[in-house]
Parts: sequence; structure tokens; C-alpha cells
Amino acid sequence: MTNTLHRQGDVEGLKGDFVVFAHTAKGINKEGSGPKIQEFMRICLRHNPVNIGDAKQGNILQEDIEIERLISRQGDGAAAAAVFTDVGTLQRVIEDLIRADLGICINVSGLLEEVRDCCRKAGIERHSVEHSLGFWGATERLPERHILEIHTMCGHGMVSFNLIRKMIEQVKLRRLSPKKAAKVLAKCCECGAFNPKRAELLLERFRKGLT
Amino acid sequence: MEIDKEKCVGCGNCHAVCTMGVIYLDQDGKSAVNQDECVECRTCYRVLRNEGYRPWFVRAVRRVLRAFNLGYLAEPDVCPTGALSPPALEWPRSVRATFSDPSTVHEGTGVHGRGTDEIKSNDVTGRLREGDVGFVVELGRPGIGARFRDIQKVAMALAGLNVRFEAENPVTQLMSDPKTGRIRDDVLDEKVLSAIIELKTRLEMIPQVLQALEEVQHQVDTVISVGVASRCAADGSVPHEHWVRQAGYRLSPNGKTNLGLGRPLFQE
Repeated sequence: MTNTLHRQGDVEGLKGDFVVFAHTAKGINKEGSGPKIQEFMRICLRHNPVNIGDAKQGNILQEDIEIERLISRQGDGAAAAAVFTDVGTLQRVIEDLIRADLGICINVSGLLEEVRDCCRKAGIERHSVEHSLGFWGATERLPERHILEIHTMCGHGMVSFNLIRKMIEQVKLRRLSPKKAAKVLAKCCECGAFNPKRAELLLERFRKGLT
Repeated sequence: MEIDKEKCVGCGNCHAVCTMGVIYLDQDGKSAVNQDECVECRTCYRVLRNEGYRPWFVRAVRRVLRAFNLGYLAEPDVCPTGALSPPALEWPRSVRATFSDPSTVHEGTGVHGRGTDEIKSNDVTGRLREGDVGFVVELGRPGIGARFRDIQKVAMALAGLNVRFEAENPVTQLMSDPKTGRIRDDVLDEKVLSAIIELKTRLEMIPQVLQALEEVQHQVDTVISVGVASRCAADGSVPHEHWVRQAGYRLSPNGKTNLGLGRPLFQE
């Protein structure tokens, strides 16, 4: 899953976009990890994420998902993710996860300096880091920057360019509110890594003709 | 994906939701899927709520509205009649769903999504150690899709550098010969939403890997998202940053951080 690595946007926009996710390794800490992943989810929930879910069951923005039932069904190795919109909350989530000492692998996607500072304030040094080197190849086939900014919030690529265009159009025509349009987009992202709040802010800019 | 023509009322909602943009309105006024381009991600099936209306009812309501020059604006996330149905897939087409539907677990790796581990469990596996660098080269992303024929071109270009492809990676597991990067013939024409070539080498090889990607990128008809990773030094600094910058490339301000909370922690 490089699905949260290539999120696009300027630094100001990315300051409101942090994804915390749990991962396990087969034969090392996957076996027996179910209850630990459930605890990871409950810790994240205490800090009011704007999205949370797992790749197998879906996310809280989908109609048929009830979060407590989703958590109770999470077994060993479930790929859980939660999205937060400010660095202060991220700091508190990291501190809680350190205190909980779950033993599962915890990763954060977001501005690297901010995440490093959070780690240091919490008394740890980061273990490994991955950067994006951007898009290569037939980049002439890619759409405009603002479409990519929304599209890359679901790294599995489940939010189509055409749906984003449709939602922008519906928002501009005031047939949908930015919030409702963002929720439609978020439904497509299965694992819960899509940031509906950031999408809403971007769509709000379209409504006001700012983009 | 398949669309039941008896049920479809041609509302077009699935056209916009389709990740590859390959659902279209057929001459009969009903939607159809370009099967050669469909990657079987099932997004249309998952996202569009089945309203459960009878097709004759929806068509009748529309005819009445049309008679008064009125239209019906449906919610964007519904299929009024539940016309979409994911077919049972056989090999090699089944590889499309495995790589494109994130709810599917890759049998070979036991991982959801695109099936890779990268740095996500590096704190316990020690896959990338001091002096190592990892590359994730994802073809088809964002939003274009890729055929394994193109994925093979890139894999073969990288294999020439004597890098090590990650064994626990779904693309490596489709290679007939990981030493050359050659992918098995029966999947070469299959299209997926994206697939990730994952490799590791030594930090000093970074310029050569980037040079190889620089050359091969013009030979493929899709986009490539490139990521680079390494294990941090004791002070939290990132070893690959120096090598990437020296090779003349920019690093993103955002990225992924493994916090090192996994247990038991891998000891070098």
C-alpha cells in the first residue's frame, strides 16, 4: 500500500491532512493482532477522526458501516486507517499509541517535518521514511492539478477523475453542498484514507470560484 | 463488471463513478462496459446503492416527466435498479480484480490493496537496513491504469541494474524470471488499476535507478508514481535524501513515516 504516499497539494493544504494507519507483518506481529488493531481503532476514535475504516470492510462514510460493528469484526492483520486534520490532534494520537504499546506497526502519512516533530515531542525518533518522487511517464494523460489533489487522497485510485469533475459541477450549480459532494467522493475510498474535510474545503473554493 | 440490460435504465451514474471511465451509453440507450479496458475494481458496484426499483417503473416515471419537459435528478451515488453485477472471473482476467479492488487480499502476500509492505512493517521485518534503499514504482497510478506489458518494460529496465525485487510482492510473484524482470506471458495483456514494482538496493545505486526510470518512462503508455524509502539514522535523519538530491531530483514535503512502535523490534 503506497496509497497515502503520493497525496498532492501545497504545504498549507497538507497541514490539514494526516493519515495514521496500523500494519502487521506475517509471521512476526500479525498473528494475534486482531484485538490490538481494535484498540488502535478505539484510540483513534477518541480523537474524532474525519474518516476511519479498513480496506476489507469500508469506512464510516459509507451508509452501511456502523463503526462499533466494524471494529468488532476486525481480525488479525486488518488494514486500519484514520484521518486527522491538524497536527495537534496527531500529536495526541501518537502519544496515546505510544502509551498503549500495542506492538503493531504504526505509520503516519503527512508532512514529514511535522510528523518528525510530533515523534520528538513524544520522546521517540522515527524509524523509517518514504518520500514521493512524483509522477513520471505519460503525465500528459493526467488531469488538472486540483483534480489530482482530490483524487490522490484515495491512493488506491478509487475516486475517478470523472466523478470529481461531476461533483465540482454539481457544487458550482448548487445542486450539492461541498459537504455532501465530499461525502460521495469519500464513499469510493474503501480503506478510509480519504480526507472528506479537505475535499470539502477544496470544493468550497470551487463554489466560490476561487479555483 | 457486467450490466444487466434488462434492468439498466441508462441513468449514467455508473459512467462517472467508473475509475477507468470505460462505461458508456450504448446505442440502445443503456449502459455498457468496455470489457477490454475494465479493470474489475468493482467501485461502481460498491458505491452505487441499489434503490431496488423495477425498471418498468423508472422508465414509466421518466416518460411521464419527459412529456411535461421535466427531468429527474437522481442522487449521484445510486443505481436505481441494481443493474450492475460483478462476474465470476477466471484466470488470467482474475488478476485484474486482485490488483484493482483494494478489498481483495493478495494470496501471495496476505496484504490488502496493492499488496505491498514497503516500510510499513520495516520496524519489525528489517527489510530495509542501514545502507539500503527501497523503491516503489507504481504503474497506472494516478487514475490511468496499466497493462502488464508496460509493467514488464519497467521491471526489465530495472532488473538490468542487478537490484533485488521484493519477493513478498504481487508483481514479483507474477514474474517468470525475477532476474530479468520478465512477467509470465498469460497476463501481459491484462489491465489493472495499478501495480507496484518493489525493489531494494544500496543507497549509492540511487542515481542509476533514477536514470533507468528516466529512460524507460518514455516507453510506456501510462503514468508512474515513484517512491523512495530508507531506514532512518539514530538521530532521525533520512539517508536517501542526500543521494536523491545529489542526483538532481526533488523530494516531496509529505510522505510516510514508520514510527518504530512494532514489536519485537528488528535488531540489526
